[in-house]
Amino acid sequence: MTRWNADWKNATSLYEQAAIAYRLARKHDKAKEAFEKASKGQEMLSSPWDAAKHMESAAALAKEVGNWNEVSDFYRRASELYIQCGRAQPASDALAKGARALEDALPDEAIQLYTDACAVLEDDGKEQMAFDLYRAATSVYVKLEKYTDAATFLLRWALAADKCNATHSQCKAYLSAIIVYLYAHDFQQAEKCYNDCCQVEAFLNSDQNRAATRLLSAYTDGDVEEIKRAAQSSIISSLDHTIIKLARKLPTGDVTAFKRGATEQQEDPLDEDDLT
Amino acid sequence: MSVIDILTRVDAICKKYDKYDVTQKDSNVSGDDAFARLYAAVESDIEAALQKAETAASEKSRASVVAINAEIRRTKARLLEEVPKLQRLAVKKVKGLSTEELTARNDLVLALPDRIQAIPDGSAAAPKSSGGGWGTSAVRTEIKFDSDGRFDNEYFQQTEESSQFRQEYEMRRMKQDQGLDVIAEGLDTLKNMAQDMNEEVDRQVPLMDEIDTKVDKATADLKNTNVRLKDTVNQLRSSRNFCIDIILLCIILGIAAYLYNVLRK
Repeated sequence: MTRWNADWKNATSLYEQAAIAYRLARKHDKAKEAFEKASKGQEMLSSPWDAAKHMESAAALAKEVGNWNEVSDFYRRASELYIQCGRAQPASDALAKGARALEDALPDEAIQLYTDACAVLEDDGKEQMAFDLYRAATSVYVKLEKYTDAATFLLRWALAADKCNATHSQCKAYLSAIIVYLYAHDFQQAEKCYNDCCQVEAFLNSDQNRAATRLLSAYTDGDVEEIKRAAQSSIISSLDHTIIKLARKLPTGDVTAFKRGATEQQEDPLDEDDLT
Repeated sequence: MSVIDILTRVDAICKKYDKYDVTQKDSNVSGDDAFARLYAAVESDIEAALQKAETAASEKSRASVVAINAEIRRTKARLLEEVPKLQRLAVKKVKGLSTEELTARNDLVLALPDRIQAIPDGSAAAPKSSGGGWGTSAVRTEIKFDSDGRFDNEYFQQTEESSQFRQEYEMRRMKQDQGLDVIAEGLDTLKNMAQDMNEEVDRQVPLMDEIDTKVDKATADLKNTNVRLKDTVNQLRSSRNFCIDIILLCIILGIAAYLYNVLRK
């Protein structure tokens, strides 16, 4: 009587049934627990695929409950199991689902999940699939008003686009980064970013480059009307929705400070006695 | 010799030696008479000009013709300037002159400008129609000017029609520019969409490859299964009772359905 063998197979199927029943009964926390147990069972039965699937269901239920930490934990565990199976796409999908669930509640955690998802895909060499993730992550950053982070992420996006020869997306990412910097009213950064981007030949020959030059020259001239007109141009309207919203709100703050004359006054007057 | 003969001979001799007489006559007559002097000078100039015109008409070389014509024109201009002086002198009374001669002088002076203008100098051909050409290029009549050479101020002023035309042209050009701008924007949008589609399709290429391999595997499996099924069914068909089995099965089902209907009522 005491030496029962651990009969994981039956246990797992029973747990699955229980979980489904609880879900139908809308008892989310019980269903969640049941899914957890089922997943553990599948692990024991060395089928990581089913285990991962159960983990995902558990995580979805945890979202219903509102237990955010558990949500992130479960999704991460699920993604690990998927990677064990050797399937990177579902792994990153799991992380992306987790990030989407946490966007409102724990945005930082969401960003982390998005970054990990992108990393998973890039390791597998499937950068093309990561574009949506990059886009979602940038929109979260912009919502959080972390503009430098957003711009950095956009540049990472451009790097991924470069690896898979998606020049159009790459140039769009560069232009978006410049716009984000301008929105953050950081003209020096924007200019530096622009100079860096011009090193890339693909950007140099593109329409986006022209739009960027126009925008930056409008800034150096301090011409508000020209900035508005440049921001309404059709090239900028083909970017991502969040970026378009930022562009329409340009210019932020006082543009005249960016005029060329202001930057030159910062140079120290040459000292004649200084012999160096 | 008859009188007529004498007269003609005298006339011929006078004409022959007339040229020696000119200077004598001049010095005799024009001593006090400024008018007569000036008039004589003008007359001689006109004669010289007429002679030059005749040589110009017969000249072959165009350059010399042009040069002679230019000279003639200069002379004419100078002579025309002298005419007012002559007119003033004409009304002055000179002693030893009758009133008839005075009026005659006036008439002579009045006739002078016409005579001077009448000297042919290569530009006297007055064009009568729109096809009139320049006199110097008499050889090239096929080159025609529509105007008669009067390029004065009015000629270059814009008429109403031409300024209206210019305005219309500007308006049309502006409209064209606007239309082209709209087209350019549309093309920009199309280009963006096309590039995005390009990237999307590129993204789907490896996915399609995966689907391809998976579907190939599935078809292979299916074929395998079909073959095995066929073998099994063939095995069964070797017994003749197979058809009988099916017929009996249908009969039983029919009876069961009939019973069911009966019992339901």
